[in-house]
Amino acid sequence: MSEFLLDARNISIAFGGLKACQNLTLQIPAGGLYGLIGPNGAGKTTAFNLLTGVYTPQSGSIHLDGRPITGLPPHQIAKAGLSRTFQNIRLFGELSVLDNIMLGCHLRGRHALVRTLLRTPAFVAQEAAMRTRAMDLLGMFNLAHLADEQARSLPYGDQRRLEICRALATEPKVLLLDEPAAGMNPSEKKSLAQSIRFIRDCFKLAVLLIEHDMGLVMDICEKITVLDHGCPIAFDVPAKIQCDPRVCEAYLGEPAADQPAPAGGGPAA
Amino acid sequence: MKNLAQNIADVPRSVAFRPATILVPWLACLAVALGVHHYLPMIVDEYWVNVFRRMGVFVMAAVSLNVVNGFAGQFSMGHAGFMAIGAYVAAGFSYYGSLYFRGEANVDDFMIQGTLLMLVGIVAGAFAAAGAGYLVGLPSLRLRGDYLAIVTLGFGEIIRVTLELTGKQVYDAKAFQDAPLSTLATLPFNGSTGFERVLPYANLFWVWLFVGVVCVVAYRIKNSSAGRAFLSIREDEIAARSMGIDLTKYKVRAFVLAAFLGGVAGAIYAHTGVNPSPTDAGFQRSFDIIIFVVLGGLGSLSGTAIAATLLTGLSEVLRGPESIVNSPAGVWSLAGIALALAVGSALLKAVGNRGWRVLAVASVAPVLLVCFAYLAQWLATAWGVKLSDYRMILYALLLILVMLLRPNGLLGVREVWELFGPEKPARRPGAVGPGKEPAP
Amino acid sequence: MATFFDTLIATIALGSLYALVALGYTLVYGVLKFINFAHSDIFVLGAWTSFTSAVAVTTLLDTQGVPPWWVGALVLMLAVLVCATTGYLIERLAYRPLRKAPRLNVLITAIGVSLLLQNVGQLPGYPVVRDNVPPAAATADASAPAAQGQTLATLPFGPTPRSMPQLLPNAVLNDSAVASGTITAGSGRGQVRLDQPIEILPDRQYALVVTRTVDGEPRTTTFRLVGIEGGRIEAGTDIGTQPRRDPIDFENATYRLVLSPVVALRLIDVLIVVSSIALMIVLQYVVFHTRLGSAMRALSFNTETAALMGINVNRVISITFVMGTALAAAAAFLYTQKYTSLSQPASAVWVLLGLKAFVAAVVGGIGNVRGAVLGGFLIAGLELFGSTYSEVLITAAGGSSGIGTALRDIYVFGLLILVLLVRPAGILGTVTREKV
Repeated sequence: MSEFLLDARNISIAFGGLKACQNLTLQIPAGGLYGLIGPNGAGKTTAFNLLTGVYTPQSGSIHLDGRPITGLPPHQIAKAGLSRTFQNIRLFGELSVLDNIMLGCHLRGRHALVRTLLRTPAFVAQEAAMRTRAMDLLGMFNLAHLADEQARSLPYGDQRRLEICRALATEPKVLLLDEPAAGMNPSEKKSLAQSIRFIRDCFKLAVLLIEHDMGLVMDICEKITVLDHGCPIAFDVPAKIQCDPRVCEAYLGEPAADQPAPAGGGPAA
Repeated sequence: MKNLAQNIADVPRSVAFRPATILVPWLACLAVALGVHHYLPMIVDEYWVNVFRRMGVFVMAAVSLNVVNGFAGQFSMGHAGFMAIGAYVAAGFSYYGSLYFRGEANVDDFMIQGTLLMLVGIVAGAFAAAGAGYLVGLPSLRLRGDYLAIVTLGFGEIIRVTLELTGKQVYDAKAFQDAPLSTLATLPFNGSTGFERVLPYANLFWVWLFVGVVCVVAYRIKNSSAGRAFLSIREDEIAARSMGIDLTKYKVRAFVLAAFLGGVAGAIYAHTGVNPSPTDAGFQRSFDIIIFVVLGGLGSLSGTAIAATLLTGLSEVLRGPESIVNSPAGVWSLAGIALALAVGSALLKAVGNRGWRVLAVASVAPVLLVCFAYLAQWLATAWGVKLSDYRMILYALLLILVMLLRPNGLLGVREVWELFGPEKPARRPGAVGPGKEPAP
Repeated sequence: MATFFDTLIATIALGSLYALVALGYTLVYGVLKFINFAHSDIFVLGAWTSFTSAVAVTTLLDTQGVPPWWVGALVLMLAVLVCATTGYLIERLAYRPLRKAPRLNVLITAIGVSLLLQNVGQLPGYPVVRDNVPPAAATADASAPAAQGQTLATLPFGPTPRSMPQLLPNAVLNDSAVASGTITAGSGRGQVRLDQPIEILPDRQYALVVTRTVDGEPRTTTFRLVGIEGGRIEAGTDIGTQPRRDPIDFENATYRLVLSPVVALRLIDVLIVVSSIALMIVLQYVVFHTRLGSAMRALSFNTETAALMGINVNRVISITFVMGTALAAAAAFLYTQKYTSLSQPASAVWVLLGLKAFVAAVVGGIGNVRGAVLGGFLIAGLELFGSTYSEVLITAAGGSSGIGTALRDIYVFGLLILVLLVRPAGILGTVTREKV
């Protein structure tokens, strides 16, 4: 039993000759808010895919809350308490906002066919509870008034928040956010930063964040892992990451001997 | 924040336990079936009674196909195969059952027992079809879109060929009673000739009762967590998996359910006075059903039911001289329906219900049907052109047009009644501002 | 009973036909990533256009003394023209607006196009009648002229099966002469006498090739021998033949007695094999060694990027479509020469043929030119070997005959399901991963 809530050790995967992820170790304690950064193509999303079971790691192990989840299919990993958002938003576009959230509640419910067809009290109660829960969540994110809209008709920023909301509906222990700030303007980013902290505190979960916006990452993350070409090259608190020469090299492609450390919003913003 | 289990515990018993919700739909099915059974024959002649029986079968077929094609988005093109399995198993039960118990298959005073046999056959046929659906569902785990479509098509063809290879039908009751099991083992379904002399036990009542049952079952699936899971698979498999939805389970489930309901449709079909034959399992029949589903709306049960009804009606109307034109009652009742819909539309508009557009469009449909009927008659008498030859061309053009203009079918996932309700204020584009911070 | 080699011959002949059709499927799939469900209907269009234009050409033009393959070449060109135009129009009107739509919508549209083509072909149209009435002059009243003359064709194609004239050489290549000599008596009325005793094997077909001199030129006629059991037939005995409609005196004409093969390998089969291999090589060249081919390959990877690289996406897709449909037309013409009886346009025969060719393309790895040919031969082999040998086994086990033969479709679709489960991209295909 490790002290970490999410404990991924030395996970690797290669697609043919491309080593997309090599010996990555990610350990997040309960309540942690960690970041995963790296230049484009560094393997960040691949790392997420490995953690959530979209890809099976070729070596290494992943434990969630002390339970091994290595090699489990995605839906079981979700059930174990790992939920994610996607870089390119993947909402259920044709469905209503409310249905999207209720789908998030799906894996905590029971869905036997008999009760569905007979509309047993247990079924009705579960549907009502899912609806209440979904509306509560939407209310927290100021989306409640859009509950009946089609998800695809929402503006971009709302879609991003809806996706986070849907991930939260699965009652995760660890939330993985893949570039939540992409395409947002500075004021939206600011409120997003607040939201992420709020989520972590209110839902009592750990957050792992992929983000290109250095300002946001440095602002909210407690510790940051830096990936380059699939390999972890640094893991530290934001202040130290900012002056790590290997990180600057990875981003700028040259030794940063006497350059000032990139400030927030620097290289990849 | 509470978790779902706590939320469920919070739901008061008065909300959870509502006998009306549980029972009313089933009672409504019964009432509709009784109503159709008693009143329809008063309005229309026997020919049209048979048309309505066939119509019911098509509605069931289309609604059941919608479970897999519309809800789960797994495009099955072999639905006629499942229906044929249901049809053959059910027909086998009622034919060989009456041969065994009665010593004769062609007896009219056997109606009640015959109906019982049919009901047993329907259940058996549905389960047999569901079994086949399970087999077809398995490859759906590894195949997407068009590949799956082709595999299901191939499966339907396999069923058709298998039915063509079945053994000779046994007409001799004595021979069958002597060795029922070893006779049945030869699959005595009469090969390519088709299963003969199945008695038409499924009268209007039974057909429309089962239409109701199939629709209620499909609608309850759609409006449940399981139905949402199907829809999520259709929308985005990867997102669905990451929401904890077991793709394997739900895809197979969709196939099994669709096949089960399709099996019911086929079983009823076998008892409407036709000879179920291997061509009923062929892809042409599957395509017919796909047309209903796509035109009505992938995911819309009422849409597909309406499409199946209207298109079956249309194909009758296009027949030319012998169509409803010669039946004043038919023309007048269609005109009455059109008038009622138009008046309803005006009323709805007056009370500010957005459904008035739907009714306005709907009121045109009966008028169009009558116009088509007269056109067909005129073309047939004046030019010798049979409009019914152009039926499939019309369908094909409709299919292409719908795909070009409304890719999810006319209604999409919505049901007809979702188009009614108070007029919504038009949402201004800027009304939903950029994300505000969540209230702590 | 067909032997191994006979089945092999049939496999090669049928397989190359499948391969020809499969090439069209694979070409379109390779670029557009969707199954052109209407491809088999384009094939039907090609076959029926071949038939109608053959009738039109022989009725309207004076083709006396013109070698039939000239007519064949003309007919082929007409079929290609009609099909390519139709293919272009379909792509332009039905598929192009759906370029960005989900694949399922395109598939449904393709089904729609397929149904449209089938049923337009089924329409009862204007008859082309024997007394040289050009189709346009046929009156609107469809029934009257048809009742007078013999209807040769209808425009469009009509719901009746037709028989295609033989335009390409059709000689059997793998027969063997067992005797020759002169005919002592015979007029083609159904009986001949030969000058030598002959040995006849039981359960085999024999043909009598008779050569006589008319106006100083040799004329050859082939008869089937009928009513003959195995054994020795003495010289001078009456031997039954298929009778001739206008009997001519055969006395003193020379003959060759030919043992017909169980499965005939005809010149047309060789032609089909050669053209399918040649077209595969040509397509392979086009795809991998020309500018058009690199544009096609770029499109198949990523349409948007290809457009950014300056490729005229619509033009390349149109060309691909026209190529695919032209291929279908050529295949269809060859088909009509191999199987001269044409089923009605909406017949399940065509759809099954199209489906099997499609299965061939998928099994070989759709989008892969060599895969299509490989798949074609594989499917044909499975179908023919499977049905032949299961027929043997089933009849040997006491089952009724015909069951094994009927199983052929089951084998094909069974193989499809199996291959897709084991290698979802087909034998030579490559798997593409969906990006998350």
